Amino acid sequence: MGVIEVSDLSKHYGDVRAVDGISFTVDAGEVFGFLGPNGAGKTTTIRTLLGFLEPTDGSGTVLDADCTDEPAMIEAKRSIGYLPANPAFEESATGREILDLHGSIKGESRRAELLELFDPPLDRRVREYSSGNKQKLGIIQSFMHDPELVVMDEPTSGLDPLMQQRFNEFVREERDRGTTVFFSSHVLSEVRRVCDRVAILRNGKLVTTEKIESLLDRSGKFVHARIRGRVGADAFDGSAVHDLERVVVDDEDGDGAGRDEDTENRDSVTVTEVRFTYTGDVNDLLTSLANHDLLDLDIEEAPLEEVFMRFYGAEDGSTAEERGDADV
Amino acid sequence: MFELARYEARRRLRGALYLSVGLSLLAGMYIGTFPSIATDIDLDEFIEQMPDIFKELFNLATMNTIEGFLAAELYSIGWTLLLGLYVAYSAASLIAEDVDRERMDILLSLPISRARLLGEKFLALGVPIVVVNVVVPVVVFAGTAAIGYPIDPVNLAIVHALSIPYLLACGGIGIVLSVLVDRATIAQRGSLVLLFGLFLFESLTVVAGYDWLGSIAPMRYFNPTDVLVESSYDLLGGVVLLVGAIALVAASAVYFRRRDIE
Repeated sequence: MGVIEVSDLSKHYGDVRAVDGISFTVDAGEVFGFLGPNGAGKTTTIRTLLGFLEPTDGSGTVLDADCTDEPAMIEAKRSIGYLPANPAFEESATGREILDLHGSIKGESRRAELLELFDPPLDRRVREYSSGNKQKLGIIQSFMHDPELVVMDEPTSGLDPLMQQRFNEFVREERDRGTTVFFSSHVLSEVRRVCDRVAILRNGKLVTTEKIESLLDRSGKFVHARIRGRVGADAFDGSAVHDLERVVVDDEDGDGAGRDEDTENRDSVTVTEVRFTYTGDVNDLLTSLANHDLLDLDIEEAPLEEVFMRFYGAEDGSTAEERGDADV
Repeated sequence: MFELARYEARRRLRGALYLSVGLSLLAGMYIGTFPSIATDIDLDEFIEQMPDIFKELFNLATMNTIEGFLAAELYSIGWTLLLGLYVAYSAASLIAEDVDRERMDILLSLPISRARLLGEKFLALGVPIVVVNVVVPVVVFAGTAAIGYPIDPVNLAIVHALSIPYLLACGGIGIVLSVLVDRATIAQRGSLVLLFGLFLFESLTVVAGYDWLGSIAPMRYFNPTDVLVESSYDLLGGVVLLVGAIALVAASAVYFRRRDIE
């Protein structure tokens, strides 16, 4: 039995299918990423699983509690931490008063330790908090009672890069202590750094659920080669080559000209630049590259953004933007 | 148990004290003007000239005694209307404001039921209600004694005791709106309009001769003038108000338990 089990879960608002028949399981002790652009249905799924929304169809259990069964959920919530997307607290209360309230109801065995890592100004009123400080207060309240499962919606939004890094380290340490972490994100680099498995959501439907490594394997290699001479458009093809770009440059002042020993192109300084994503066997890639006279070659792991693009396609306007802010 | 009620009650204490000071000042002002009014003007002549609706709205019986004067000025307006509006407004904020400001998610992530959350928040409204009804009668008694027109302390205690179920019923009306409406400002304004409407309606039905219609209004069951001027106590009215308040809170809890938190 998984820590979270979701089966054919749907949440519709009239004709709008915010979540449309998704199924997945989160196992004990893993960091599970819930990935998708804004509006994909991540928050709706999370809020349904925590019992804030009634599912239209299907079911979900959290720590074996059916999300529609209030008494069972109350019991489960003793061992669940929750950090919403924009944690909001009573404006006129101080951080300390809020933590005192949470501590008195669900326990606070780890409060002091967490306050050393994340240090919001406890004696100030929440009204004066920056979004980063609200986020820190939210992180503390979600972990202070030493929960078995922590559900976080876009946890690093609002944190500065240094805090994000501290948070990522913290999440890895939590996993090592055996805490199950389920968090949503639209930032791919974040998911890649801390997650064991990812589910990708798009328009309310689950696109895939995979281990992060296999996602990276499938994402393949980014190949960028500068080849002496003119290379035909068909030099690199086959099912393993994606998004091939080929540019032929006639470079008269090229530094390669004097040492040019290629018989076919003795008098020219033509260079072909090719870029593509390669998802096949790397030995085959090297064999086909060896047929050419290379001036330069880069092979690197394709960024997860590329994988995202392949799942989502380029028609999704938000995808390009997410490539940008995921690039750290 | 009651951790949330304790937290909310602590947060209401300061406001309750300000409210008590404000209403004590209002009471002091009325009490201070009474001796000169009582000797110079015959207010009862004035009352006789007034349209029936005003007599009914402000429960005017006599203004020539301190009891009748305070019943009309302080209790009909200050308690039945102003304090009633304050409690209804506060109750209307209880759920809707947390939902509106997106604070409800974190509260509901706590291991407590929605019914308990609603009940404990409502319970904390008891702080301003009780504080005001303990502080102000002391001020009123001391003030009337100081000007040489001491008010009957038993009647005074009873009018304040009977105002508690009345105010709880006003809170019950507010919390129903609070669970029905997501937008806090709509719930708050709606509760003010509704309570003021009931206040007018109750008197209108009496003047128009359709008394029975006004029996849905909580003001029907709380009459400070009867208590202070005639020493007649409507204890059954107090019970009706208390039962009504409990029914409204329970109905709100049942609805809140089933609805989506948007």
